[in-house]
Amino acid sequence: MPPSVTAGKSTEVTGQPPRRRLSSLAANQLLGVVFALVAIFLVSAALSPEFLTSFNMVIIARTLAFVGLVTIGQAMLLILGELDLSVGAIGGLAAVAGGLLMVQAGVNAWLSLLLCLLLGAACGAVNGLLVTRLRLHSLVLTIGMAGVYSGLNLVSTRGVAITGIPDQIGFLGQGVVADLPVPFLVMLGCLAVAAFLMFRTPFGRYIYAIGNNTAAARMLGIRVDFIRVVVFAIAGLLSAMAGILMVARLGTAQPSIGEDWVLPPIAAAVIGGVATTGGIGSPIGAILGAAIIGIIENIIVLYGVSPYWQSVVSGGIVVLAISFDSVARRTFRREE
Amino acid sequence: MAFVEVRSLRKTFPGVVALDDVALSLDLGKVHVLAGENGAGKSTLIRILTGVSSPDSGSLSIDGQDALADPSRFSRIAYVPQELNLFRHMTVAENLFMPFARAGFDGLTLSGGALSRATQPFLERFGIRARPAQKVSSIAVSDQQLLQIARASTAKGFQVLILDEPTSSLTHAETDRLFSVVRELRRTGHAIVFVSHKMDEMFGIGDVVTVLRNGRSVAHRSIDELKERDLIRLMSGDEVAIDQSFRPQRGPRPTPPPSDAVGFAAPQSKHPEDEAPLLDVLRLSGRGFNDISFQLHRGEILGFAGLVGAGRSEIMQTIFGARRATSGSIQFERKPWRLGRPDLSVARGMLYLSEERKQDGILPLLSLRENIGISILGQTARSGVISSGQEQRIVDTVIHDYDIKTDSREKKIRFLSGGNQQKAIIGRAMQQRPRLLIFDEPTKGIDIKTKVEIYRIMKRLAEEGVGVILVSSEMAELRRCATRIVTLYHGQLTGTFETESTDNDTLIAAIIGAGASEHAA
Repeated sequence: MPPSVTAGKSTEVTGQPPRRRLSSLAANQLLGVVFALVAIFLVSAALSPEFLTSFNMVIIARTLAFVGLVTIGQAMLLILGELDLSVGAIGGLAAVAGGLLMVQAGVNAWLSLLLCLLLGAACGAVNGLLVTRLRLHSLVLTIGMAGVYSGLNLVSTRGVAITGIPDQIGFLGQGVVADLPVPFLVMLGCLAVAAFLMFRTPFGRYIYAIGNNTAAARMLGIRVDFIRVVVFAIAGLLSAMAGILMVARLGTAQPSIGEDWVLPPIAAAVIGGVATTGGIGSPIGAILGAAIIGIIENIIVLYGVSPYWQSVVSGGIVVLAISFDSVARRTFRREE
Repeated sequence: MAFVEVRSLRKTFPGVVALDDVALSLDLGKVHVLAGENGAGKSTLIRILTGVSSPDSGSLSIDGQDALADPSRFSRIAYVPQELNLFRHMTVAENLFMPFARAGFDGLTLSGGALSRATQPFLERFGIRARPAQKVSSIAVSDQQLLQIARASTAKGFQVLILDEPTSSLTHAETDRLFSVVRELRRTGHAIVFVSHKMDEMFGIGDVVTVLRNGRSVAHRSIDELKERDLIRLMSGDEVAIDQSFRPQRGPRPTPPPSDAVGFAAPQSKHPEDEAPLLDVLRLSGRGFNDISFQLHRGEILGFAGLVGAGRSEIMQTIFGARRATSGSIQFERKPWRLGRPDLSVARGMLYLSEERKQDGILPLLSLRENIGISILGQTARSGVISSGQEQRIVDTVIHDYDIKTDSREKKIRFLSGGNQQKAIIGRAMQQRPRLLIFDEPTKGIDIKTKVEIYRIMKRLAEEGVGVILVSSEMAELRRCATRIVTLYHGQLTGTFETESTDNDTLIAAIIGAGASEHAA
C-alpha cells in the first residue's frame, strides 16, 4: 500500500496531466453525486435480490436512456441559465411526426428519422429565437410553447396512436448490443459528445460564461443570443431523438410520448450539480442524477411499495438528495 | 479603555492568513479611517467587527465586554456596505424600517401613514431628498447612500457606524452632504469607521487612522501626524511613484513646436494630417447623451471627464455596441462601424472594460484560469478543441505578468480581491490584442500600488500604438494619464483640451457646465 500512495502523490506534484486539469472543477462537483449513486445502488442491492439481475439492469438502463437524452439537453440549457419546459412536448410531436411520415406518407424510415430530428431542433430553435428576439423569460415562454407543440401533436393524430411503424427502425428501440439496450448506447454517445462540447470546445466555455454572467459575456464579445438559440435547438434535437427512439421501441407512435419528460430531467440535473441559476454543473452530473432517480423508482417497485405511495416515496427521496447536496455545498463553500 | 478594543486578532482561510496580530481601538466621538490596499484584510476585519465571522484567536471587546462570548454586543455596531443593497421597488419608508417588528411596527397590518410620520425625522436628520412614500429606484444614488446610513442608524443602541467606501459612486457635492452627516454623528458621540481609498477624503474627515498591510495593523496614528506621502508609504510598504506623469510619449512621430502647446491647439496640429484618426465619432446620440463628436488617434490616451450622470459610460457602451444609438455614426480605422454589435467590436479589436467589475466583468463561479482563458480561445483552441496545456501556459504568463495574487490558477475568481480581479480582467483583455481599449473607471476601489500598475499598462499600450480611452471621475488621474481630455456635462460635450496646457479650474468649470462655450474645441 504505502509505495502506491507515494507514487500517486509524486505524479500530483510533478504536474498533473492537463487533460485532468481541464475538468477538475467538474470532477470535484461530480464526486458527491457519484458517492450518492454508489450508496443508493448498494442499498438497493441489499433491499431486493432481484435488483442486481441483468434483466432488471437492462430495464433501468433502457428507462434511463429516454429520460437521459432529454436530461442532457435540459442540463445544457440550465448551465446556460435557461430552461425549456416544452422538451416533452417536442419529443411527443417528433414521435408522432415520425409515425405520420413513415406510415401515412410512406417516407423512407431513415429519412423520416432525420426529418424528425430536424423538426425537434427547429422547435427548440423557435423557442430560442422567441426568447432572444422578444426578450422573454424562457420559463413562461416554454410553458406556452409546450401547449402549442402538444396541441399540434393532438391536431395531427386526433389523440390516436399511429401503428404499423416499419420494422427497419425497431432495432433502434429494442436492439441489444453487448448486453446493453441500443437506446442506452445512443444516450451514452450523445452524452460523450455533449461532455466534449462543454469541456473541450470554445462553444462549451461560452455556455458556462453566459450562465455565469450574461453581461460580462456580452462585453467579451461572445455572441450570446446566437449561442442561446443553438443550445435550445440542441435540447429540441435530443428530445426528438428520445421521442423517435421511443416510437422504435413501442412500434407505435403514441401521442402521449414525452408527457413525463419535463420535470424529472430538471430534478436530475439539480441532483447532479447543475445550478438552476446557471453557470455550474455538467451533463455528466445530470445523467448521474437521472440514474439516481431511475434506481430509486426501480427499487420502490421491486421492494413492493404500494403503488399509491410510490410517488410520495420517490419524490421524498429526491427532496432529501438535493437538501443533502445543498448542505454539503454550503459547508464546502464556507471552507473555501 | 476604548469603546471597541481589538487585540492580536488572527484569522486564516485555507492557504491564506487574512489577519495576523491585528490591533484596533475605536473611541466614541471620533472618525477612524481604516486604510489599506486591496487584500490588506479590511473586509475580513469588518466582517469580524460586525460579528459575521469569528476570528481564530485574539480578543474583541465592545463597551468593555467580550463580544466573542456575548454576541448581543454586536448590536452596538451598524454597518453600511459599499454596494447599495436596498429594495429598489419598495418605498423609502419601507426600506428604512424593514424588518418592521424590530422598528416597533409589530401590528398585523402596516399603517402607511405611521410609517411615513416615523420616516420624516430620519429624512431631515440625514438630509435625504425624498418623500417617505417614494420608490427607492426613483431617488438619486447619493440619497440612496444616505438612506442606507439612515437605515443602519434605526438600530436601537448603535454607537459605532462602519462605512465601507461610501463615496465610491458619489460626486464631490454629494460627498460633502455625506460628510456633514458623518460629522453630525461624530458630534452626537458615535464612533465612525471610514473605509476609503481616496486620500483627500481620509484627510478631510478622519481623526485617527489605522493602517492595515498584508493582514497586519502597521500603524495607529492621529491623522494630523501624517502627510499623504507617509500614509501611502505605510499602506504600500514602499515608495510608489504616484506623482509622476503617465502620459504616453510620442516616439518616432515629430513633436509639435513648443508654441503650439500654448492655447487650445486644434487636434490636427498635434496629429499630422497624413495620419487618419483611429476612431472618429460623429454626432452620436443615445439615451443620456446628445450629439457627441470626437476623434481618437493611435498612441494617445483620451480622457473623459464628467460628473456622475454626465453620460460618460453610456457613450462608451454605445460606441462599443452594448447600448443602442439613436443617431450618429462612427468610423473605426477609416471604415464605417456597425453599432449595436459588441461581438463585432471585439472581433475588430475594440474592447470595453466596464466600471462594474462584478456586474459586467468577471465570471464569478468559474476559476481564474477559465476567466482568463475565455478570451484566448483563438490561441488555445486548435480545430475547435481547447488545448489545456497551451491554455495553462498563457494563463500562467498572465498571472505572472500582471502580478495577480492567487494561490492557484484554479481558484474561483470571486474569492480574489477586487484589485486582483481587475488585474485579471485587464490581463485578459491584453491577450485579445486590442487596437482600441476603453477603460471605464479602471481604478475604482483599487489601491494605489495597483493603480500605478494600471497607469503603466495604459501608457505602454498607447506607446505601442493602441488607442486608449480613459473614463474617470478623478481629475488628478486624468491629468496624470491623458494626452487630451474631453469634458462632458449632462450628456453634452463641453470641450476637448490638451492636458498639458490646461489648468484644473478650466476642466472643473467644463464638467460643471460653467464657461464651457469659450473652451469648446
